[in-house]
Amino acid sequence: MIDLGGFPILSAIVFGPLIGAVVLAILPRENKVLLRRVALLISLIVFGLSLLLVIAFKPGTDGFQFQERASWIPAFGINYHLGVDGISLILVVLTTTLTWISILASFSPIHDRVKEYMISFLVLEVGMLGVFLALDLFLFYIFWEVVLVPMYLIIGIWGGPNRIYATIKFVLYTLIGSLLMLVAILATAFSYQAATGTWTGAFDYLTLRGFGFDGTLQVLAFLAFFLAFAIKVPMWPFHTWLPDAHVEAPTAGSVILAGVLLKLGGYGFIRFALPLFPQAAQQLAGLIIVLSLIAIIYGAIVAMVQPDLKKLVAYSSVSHMGFVTLGIFIFQQQGMQGAILQMVNHGVITGALFLCVGVVYERTHDRTIAKMGGLAGRTPVYAMLFGFFMLASLGLPGLSGFVGEFLVFLGTFAISPIAALIATFVIIIGAAYLMWMYQRVVFGELSEFLASLGHHLTDITRVELLTLTPLVALTLLFGLFPGLVLDLVSHPVDQILAGLGHGAAVAVGR
Amino acid sequence: MTGNEWLAIAPFLAIVGLAILTVIIDIIWPDHDELIGTVAVLGVLTAMALTVVAGPLPGPIGALPSSGQEIFGGVYVRDGLTSFLDLIFMSIALLTLLFAPDYLRPRGLPMGEFSATLLFAISGAMLLGAARDLLILFLGLELMVLPGYMLAGYAKRDGLSTEGAIKYFLLGSFSSAIFLFGLAFTFGYLGTTRIAEIGKALATYASGEQVGHTLPAALVMGLAFLTTGVAFKIAAVPFHYWTPDAYQGSPTPVTGYLSVGPKVGAFALILRLFVEALGPLRGDWVIFIGILAVLTMTLGNLSALGQDNVKRMLAYSSIAHTGYILLGLAVYAGASDPHVQETGLQAVLFYSATYAFMNLGAFACVAALQRRPGVTSQIASFAGLGRRAPLLGALMTLFLLSLTGIPPTAGFFGKALILLSAVQAGGWLAVLAVIMMLNAAAAAFYYLRIVVFMYMRDAPANAREVTVGAFTKVGLALAAIGTIAIGLVPPITTVVYDAALKAAAALMRA
Repeated sequence: MIDLGGFPILSAIVFGPLIGAVVLAILPRENKVLLRRVALLISLIVFGLSLLLVIAFKPGTDGFQFQERASWIPAFGINYHLGVDGISLILVVLTTTLTWISILASFSPIHDRVKEYMISFLVLEVGMLGVFLALDLFLFYIFWEVVLVPMYLIIGIWGGPNRIYATIKFVLYTLIGSLLMLVAILATAFSYQAATGTWTGAFDYLTLRGFGFDGTLQVLAFLAFFLAFAIKVPMWPFHTWLPDAHVEAPTAGSVILAGVLLKLGGYGFIRFALPLFPQAAQQLAGLIIVLSLIAIIYGAIVAMVQPDLKKLVAYSSVSHMGFVTLGIFIFQQQGMQGAILQMVNHGVITGALFLCVGVVYERTHDRTIAKMGGLAGRTPVYAMLFGFFMLASLGLPGLSGFVGEFLVFLGTFAISPIAALIATFVIIIGAAYLMWMYQRVVFGELSEFLASLGHHLTDITRVELLTLTPLVALTLLFGLFPGLVLDLVSHPVDQILAGLGHGAAVAVGR
Repeated sequence: MTGNEWLAIAPFLAIVGLAILTVIIDIIWPDHDELIGTVAVLGVLTAMALTVVAGPLPGPIGALPSSGQEIFGGVYVRDGLTSFLDLIFMSIALLTLLFAPDYLRPRGLPMGEFSATLLFAISGAMLLGAARDLLILFLGLELMVLPGYMLAGYAKRDGLSTEGAIKYFLLGSFSSAIFLFGLAFTFGYLGTTRIAEIGKALATYASGEQVGHTLPAALVMGLAFLTTGVAFKIAAVPFHYWTPDAYQGSPTPVTGYLSVGPKVGAFALILRLFVEALGPLRGDWVIFIGILAVLTMTLGNLSALGQDNVKRMLAYSSIAHTGYILLGLAVYAGASDPHVQETGLQAVLFYSATYAFMNLGAFACVAALQRRPGVTSQIASFAGLGRRAPLLGALMTLFLLSLTGIPPTAGFFGKALILLSAVQAGGWLAVLAVIMMLNAAAAAFYYLRIVVFMYMRDAPANAREVTVGAFTKVGLALAAIGTIAIGLVPPITTVVYDAALKAAAALMRA
């Protein structure tokens, strides 16, 4: 335990990458090596700061720590207000981890416009971290939109052949959701102002959290928030942008997209939609659970028939993120803890799977499953790592993917055994599509296509190994010691459930 | 006249005097474009300083009393609204003067007449913002639009420019006649041209009215003609048909001016006429403004979607922005709470200020690109601009993001304020707020299309280097600073916000 004194660590974490982006903007564009190294250095510094935050954080206490507050637009009571609790803490660390890994993973694939690429990545990190740390709704919205532009550029400039279609689809989907969320944010703020006669606190999360909004407003505002978050997660039927975006994005873009951007939606539900509009959340929970179950099944079935490696992983994300929304809206302690754990695990594992796909793509410039085969013979180390993450993704006990899903099942079972039954059934499909894919890519004779590459088909490089190893460690760590995460999130989860009137839910285990 | 009275009219006299001075300089030293440009820019800056000295602006700024200073027996007033609008108009003049030389000189178009004509037009707009009498109002209107026709046809050997100018002239004078007709009816019924007296007479009339009253036929006619005339001037749908041709045909810096100068000028007219004089009848005209707002923003955006010419696209987009501003006016007219009414007016003014910077900035980028004669304003001209001229591309992106309303740019804060006022007003106005946000999402599509061309398409093989002159550089810097600072730098946000509030308060007091 260390004392940080008055150091504004949260601002340092959020705006560290921005300072880095400014530094990159000054550096000469010709010196690509320098640009890459500086970007990596900055992301590592931010990662270090987030680890410092972990050490200084006092787990097991209620409320937000390291709060920073400054008046920003006093006329409407809008503040610059940051704070961290267990839930945001692990998501911040997930973000800082995946960012430096993504930047490192971009060293060899990205040759063109390195400067703009690295700046985009660092600005993207600002937005993501800001979303996880903002405690003022207006500030939250701003960070939420800040995420949009760099991702738009990353997919649109450095993406695949159909990148422009994919990136515009991504932006329009996200924007429609978020703009309606802005209307809802302003409506709740005004409703608060009308009821209390003051703008002070009208955008403040901590003030609004306990404020009972009028029933109709709750439903309308919840629907607007829901749309924004459901598109981001993405929930069926708002998921159609995801496969396009994933397929066209560069590898590192896919890693961040799956690893962090999808988590923004889940985080939004937990942090904002539930505590602000508890009644509406309860009224609509049934519907959302049904949508989650559809997403879980639909994502898995569609993943099974995908001919493209990236698309397969993308659809598996729809399925896996369905577990997250299921766990959240079942309103049960284990379920919600499992949902948060699942977010972290999905970020690590799916991020790693996209890196693995990227490794193949780097060598073959192809991702068609049918053209692959027999990688195990030529690239044994790679095949082993790929297999490791494949098993983690399908939920092998001992690896992290298992624990999150298991807790979600447990929570769901306590509330609705039928829903749990349906969700469990999907585990089988999940095992099927992942193992079948792995078998076709890795086992058997070396395919003609791969053989034609000759000596270009090398095993994993040192840099690639460097990007995957930390994720192996995290997968094992969270698989064997899920308590590391659960201890952090149990207090906030209890508090959120208490706000929903589900405080004394059935306690299974723990 | 007393000192304060001189001070009240000083900015107006300064601009008129400057216009005459540029004519004289042009006669004595013909073809000294840089001299004229420098004198005009410095002159406008002086006039801006005079406006700040005169005030009344927020806080301690300005020598004149907060309640405003009337002169000439009350037909001309300098209050918070006048000074706020004057500063917008002069910023528009300043930026246009800075952007013009790069475009005009290569085409052999003289700067002397351009400066003089532009400054006369601006003086007309300034007169509109200060008028307290219907005759002065009409005088200001004509003084603003007549030089506008000349500017539109400034490239007189260019067929498109001439065609646009003739269309603009015919419909412009037509609408002026309709407007004058409306003034005649109003005068005929009420027997006075003084705005304050009209307001008073209508207020007594409105307060003494019975439920289910009918307006006298003369006032109905007057209101109908005035609304139609004004709708033409601001290019509200369905009175917008002249805009795309006039905008596409005009020399690009003129288009930039036309898209903000006469538009904000016409809104000044609306504020003085519809709010101050016809405010008591707002219950009768609000519905028309509401319908105009929806039609204008929706059709403007839908038409912009299919455009391949950037000037034409921005012309349609400026129609959409008119719709957003009209929503603020509808909030004034439709809300029952005076504070909300005031916020609506404040939103109109704040948005106008942000719109002036971002829209002029966008047109300046088009003009800079077209510096070399022969470069068209087709969207294909933007291909690869992000690589050919990185700074210009980045600035254009900034202006486009601001026009889209992405935080943290000024455009976002403008939209947020309109949105907030509409949500506060509640009821059908809140529905309009949702329509506005859906429109903003649709608009993202065509704004980002330009970004796609700049960053995600390669430049054609024969693309030439893009160079930017010193004047344009200064202008672009100012527009960019305005677009960023009004949103992101709290003291500046506050000043603009308070100034708009003071201007709105001046209107509400009347």
